[in-house]
Amino acid sequence: MLNEQEYIEQLKEAVIDGDDQDVVEIAKEALEAGVDPQVLLTQGLMAGADIVGQKFESGEFFLPQLMLTGRALKAAMSVLEPALQASLGDKAGEGDTGTVVICTVQTDIHDIGKNIVSSMLTATGFTVHDLGVDVPTKTIIAKAQEVNADIIACSALLTTSMPVMRDLINLLESMGLRDRFKVMVGGAPITPAFAEQIGADGTARNAMQAVQLAKKLIAERRQA
Amino acid sequence: MILDYHEILDRANEGPYISEESWDLEKVAMTTARLVRKYKLSWDPECIITDDPALADAVFEAGFELAKEIGCYSRTTERIILFDEDELEEGLRRMPQTLVMGEGKDARTLYARRIMDDRLPLVWAGNPGTPYPEDLFLPSVMSWAQEPIVDMITCGTLTHVDGREIRTGDPIEITATRRELRYLRDALKRVGRPGMGMLAAQSSVSELGDLAVAHPDYLRPCDSHLVPMLNEMKMDHRNISRAINSIEYGMRNAALVCVMVGGLGGDAPGSAVVNVASHILANLTTLADYQLLHPIHMRHIATTTRATMWVESIVQQAFARNAPAIFVTDIYPKSGAVTRELLYETAANAIVIAVTGGHLEGCGSADGLLPNGTGLEARFMGEVGHAATRQGLTLREANDLVLKLLAKYEHVFDTPGGNPGLRFDEAYDMRTLKPTAEWQAIYEEVKRDVRDMGLTAL
Repeated sequence: MLNEQEYIEQLKEAVIDGDDQDVVEIAKEALEAGVDPQVLLTQGLMAGADIVGQKFESGEFFLPQLMLTGRALKAAMSVLEPALQASLGDKAGEGDTGTVVICTVQTDIHDIGKNIVSSMLTATGFTVHDLGVDVPTKTIIAKAQEVNADIIACSALLTTSMPVMRDLINLLESMGLRDRFKVMVGGAPITPAFAEQIGADGTARNAMQAVQLAKKLIAERRQA
Repeated sequence: MILDYHEILDRANEGPYISEESWDLEKVAMTTARLVRKYKLSWDPECIITDDPALADAVFEAGFELAKEIGCYSRTTERIILFDEDELEEGLRRMPQTLVMGEGKDARTLYARRIMDDRLPLVWAGNPGTPYPEDLFLPSVMSWAQEPIVDMITCGTLTHVDGREIRTGDPIEITATRRELRYLRDALKRVGRPGMGMLAAQSSVSELGDLAVAHPDYLRPCDSHLVPMLNEMKMDHRNISRAINSIEYGMRNAALVCVMVGGLGGDAPGSAVVNVASHILANLTTLADYQLLHPIHMRHIATTTRATMWVESIVQQAFARNAPAIFVTDIYPKSGAVTRELLYETAANAIVIAVTGGHLEGCGSADGLLPNGTGLEARFMGEVGHAATRQGLTLREANDLVLKLLAKYEHVFDTPGGNPGLRFDEAYDMRTLKPTAEWQAIYEEVKRDVRDMGLTAL
């Protein structure tokens, strides 16, 4: 049997390798050996995911590695979540981070940027509900209500789809829901000025910045 | 067997089902990674223009194998459109080798170029996808249409008409695209080149605009429009609608392939494999008349990075050696007007394209995100491409020159906020439609410098 540190290191390596079968096996064995699930989450999964994120940003890793890591994290969480719930009560499953509903807005079908942010958010512990592309505004809001999201994150590559982001914020206001969700907007043509102009809570130039922004917005939300 | 669009639609409706996530990861990413290992593909950032025919052939073989093995994904039906080897090969054999664009004295003939071809590449000026306010649209198009070295034109995207915001799928897209075509036809008349060929209908993301301008008063049969292959190796019915409409009308289809370098294909070699496969498939699914090559760098966007230019170079060489086709290849520099870097980026990218078998299209200055492009860099793109061809640069000589040029501009990729330069109306005198004195002086200085670096025919 391995010791706690060895389990953590193996789990971290499996996350970096994006191996969704290994992470499940290691997580199960570690739990059976009595390792604290919170330790496995933070020092194993999240630590591995951080390394993947850094390697992606530096150009050493590419999109497939990021997606594989996201998939491995989801698989590992299916094993860890029951144990986390048992040890942390009903706060488990939300992680330390938060819940994000993410999509590319209606009329736009570009998804690679959105997928990267989605993977990075997953890889850094957020519970992410990715609705895909060309998603109607009402569907986004309905999902955000259903999962009690902290953040709605919208992407658009097309300048002619950017107005849909404004529609979303206007509809949230009309429905009396604007204060319930933080709204992040992103995509190649999105500028901080545009985000401010439409009343969004922020934008980011890349996936790492998007994660930082999401963490900041969650902190603001919890302080409020 | 000749495939028509009925057959493509049938296969999109009846092919095997797969979720999009599984397509991306299990089909595209994993198959590409396996093929990169199988064919032992690698790249050297110091060798942007490879002089390695075996590598070009291996990239082509790997791309063909990828196209044959996984096919193309229909986003509309969530099914795979599969082709057998004979169909793919016949499609490649049938790719047009010449194509007349435009009409009358302004007509030009695109042709499938060879590696180190001694025939001049054609110069297609403009910046598709770049958002433009309506008041800048006509003068900016005129700024490149008036350049004698320019053979065909294209344009950016109107963001407003009559002050009204254009939204994807709104009826206003019809108005916007017809307005765009009116401006383009007007620009050609004003510069005395009414028959010039165009690539247009850029102001409508949905198929509405394309359908609305398929008329001789707008886009003529001698013009073309884009039919994009979606990232990666995907199509949808909306884009097949564009292709069908164009075929029925008799206009040219440009198969636009914008593979993300660093995306699902991984590093540059895998991205090149996905690029080759995408062109092979787009040739059938978009019923293409010519290929538009526009790899996009995952982090830097621009086509002027080392990895992106390597992909352009190796993909063009792969096709030139194995399946000659008309390639029009995009130049989207990081920098914008009135910066030296814009011209150095343009020069490097134009050399890469010209010596490896492509025609030149651009410039999508400032990453094609701002209306910061002008006719002057389009002129420079043509001048450099022509000079590289006239001088008969070998691939190695061209690579040496590109490395020198990279040293002049590569810092812009690490510059916060990029290097967007100035808007069109700050770079040109709006009354005379000539570059400002500052922009003209930068152009002359950089041109001298590039000549001194070794492009003596410039």
